[in-house]
Amino acid sequence: MITSLDQLAEKVKNKKQKPKLAVTWAQDENTLGAVEKAVKENMIEAYLYGNRSMIEKTSTRLGLDIDRFNIQHVDNEVVAAKETVRLVKSGEVDILMKGLIGTDKFLRAILDKENGLMKPGAVLSYVCAIDIPDYHKLLFVTDTAVLPFPDLDQKVAMAEYAIGMAVKFGIKKPRVALIGASEKMSKHFQNAVDYAIMCKMAERGQISPCIMDGPLDIFLACDKKSVEIKGVDTPVAGDADILLFPSLEACNPFYKGLMLFGRGELAGMLTGTEVPVVLMSRSESEKSKFYCIALSCLMAEKNN
Amino acid sequence: MILKKLSELKKLLDNKPVKYLVLAAAHDSQSLGAVLKAAESKIVHPILIGDEKEIRRLASEKKYDLEGIRIINEPVIEKTSEMAVKMVNSGEADILMKGKVGTSTLLKHVLNKNWGLRTGNLLSHIALFEVDTYHKLIAVTDVAMNIAPDLQDKIAIVNNSVSCLNMLGVELPKVAVLGAVEMVNESMQATLDAALLSKMNQREQIKNCIIDGPLAFDNAISLESAIHKGIRSEVAGDTDLLLMPDIEVGNVLYKSLVFFARAKVASMILGAAAPIVLTSRSDSEQAKYDSILLAAAIAK
Repeated sequence: MITSLDQLAEKVKNKKQKPKLAVTWAQDENTLGAVEKAVKENMIEAYLYGNRSMIEKTSTRLGLDIDRFNIQHVDNEVVAAKETVRLVKSGEVDILMKGLIGTDKFLRAILDKENGLMKPGAVLSYVCAIDIPDYHKLLFVTDTAVLPFPDLDQKVAMAEYAIGMAVKFGIKKPRVALIGASEKMSKHFQNAVDYAIMCKMAERGQISPCIMDGPLDIFLACDKKSVEIKGVDTPVAGDADILLFPSLEACNPFYKGLMLFGRGELAGMLTGTEVPVVLMSRSESEKSKFYCIALSCLMAEKNN
Repeated sequence: MILKKLSELKKLLDNKPVKYLVLAAAHDSQSLGAVLKAAESKIVHPILIGDEKEIRRLASEKKYDLEGIRIINEPVIEKTSEMAVKMVNSGEADILMKGKVGTSTLLKHVLNKNWGLRTGNLLSHIALFEVDTYHKLIAVTDVAMNIAPDLQDKIAIVNNSVSCLNMLGVELPKVAVLGAVEMVNESMQATLDAALLSKMNQREQIKNCIIDGPLAFDNAISLESAIHKGIRSEVAGDTDLLLMPDIEVGNVLYKSLVFFARAKVASMILGAAAPIVLTSRSDSEQAKYDSILLAAAIAK
């Protein structure tokens, strides 16, 4: 079982067949730094689609070894997106990563009905594995980045993706906490209603493998003492692996709080796509950026 | 406590004073017969309101002695229900029973704001079945009163039924919320309500019972079938109370049990200030008698 992000990075290094990663519009510092590190650590083969002279300039400025990259010059970001998505689609590369291209253009290429990367019926969302010193295990959190107000079906999909990721980390039956402001069930709170339905689905094996409960507040989800004090009968029992949030506006500040105040690091990626897609915010730490690539390598592995 | 036969309800009457039952529009052969039989067995003290002449004729036809039984002569049907409800309201009687009067007429008086039997609770119907093929009595709700209960109504119906079963000595009734399938299906509201009811029960927002659902009818009553489907449930196979999604399902199940499974049934209305025996004309005299027994068992 992988219990920290460092272990994750170790696990995906030095594979006989390294996954191939294509970067869309690759010339920015953020991207190149993280990609070079991953190549250096013998994690991936990198294919950069971008402006060649810009890539070279940035690399020189950062002191990166340009020979570590396979560079393909393209004229603009839209072409870069088209080309890299095509590479993924044809199976020539295993992982897609966003460079300097605007997020909206990048996602448009992924969501394109004919040539995009979405699995049939899939929901584009985002899952982060977060490593914080003060929690006794990794915490998988969704959705920190994509879905503003997920409905029931989208929440079910989010849960399934997060479970799939946790299982890849070796957690056989992840404990999923559906986060709310209180543990009480009220038909006036659509999230609580959705959560109750999801719990029953999990009980009936319609969402699996997992132990699910919600609504739960963060304390009941992650703190055994609170569970005892409150006397709430919950199978998650303060030992959550996965936190599913009701909205982007709840989840995003939560994870940023952990990064800023909780000395957290993260590894995150888009979910619902045919292959792992690395998309990270510029504000992530160097380490977190590297972990994001490591995560995509793990998720790209075909058989456990 | 586990009750296996409706006749065992009689044990619950031991050490309890005999309750007063008022029969509205008592000049009805089957209701009268059931009440007089119950009186003979010391289950209730009857008060008969109705057309006295007709009551006496029916009683002698059935060879019942009316000696010592209180009869109030009131040939106007509408008035019989008003009087009967008022008697229960004033505490003169403990149980209300419908005779030859329409359900809507009787309920209109029950729900009267000034002298009715309102408690603020939803009225609901409960039917308690004795079926040879099940290991204990099984209650079914709501098969007669609430047409298409929403979530809030279902909560009230469960609460009514659970407190009734508690009074019958079933301490932690197992409640199966019925659906067509045991899986959650967004297009089937019954399965969604079932999930919410389960969660509210888990969070102790609905107490004194164990709720699981959705369960299909077979999972609810047969452990074998639940195991076969891989359902883990405390309720499956050992249900005390079946909560119906709506009146159509409930009514058909009720009648199937009676006609195909030859089940015995006792039924009553819950949620009013006193038990109300409100059987339909198609119920047998035995069913009416058992219903009186059930009402007496929970009457305060």
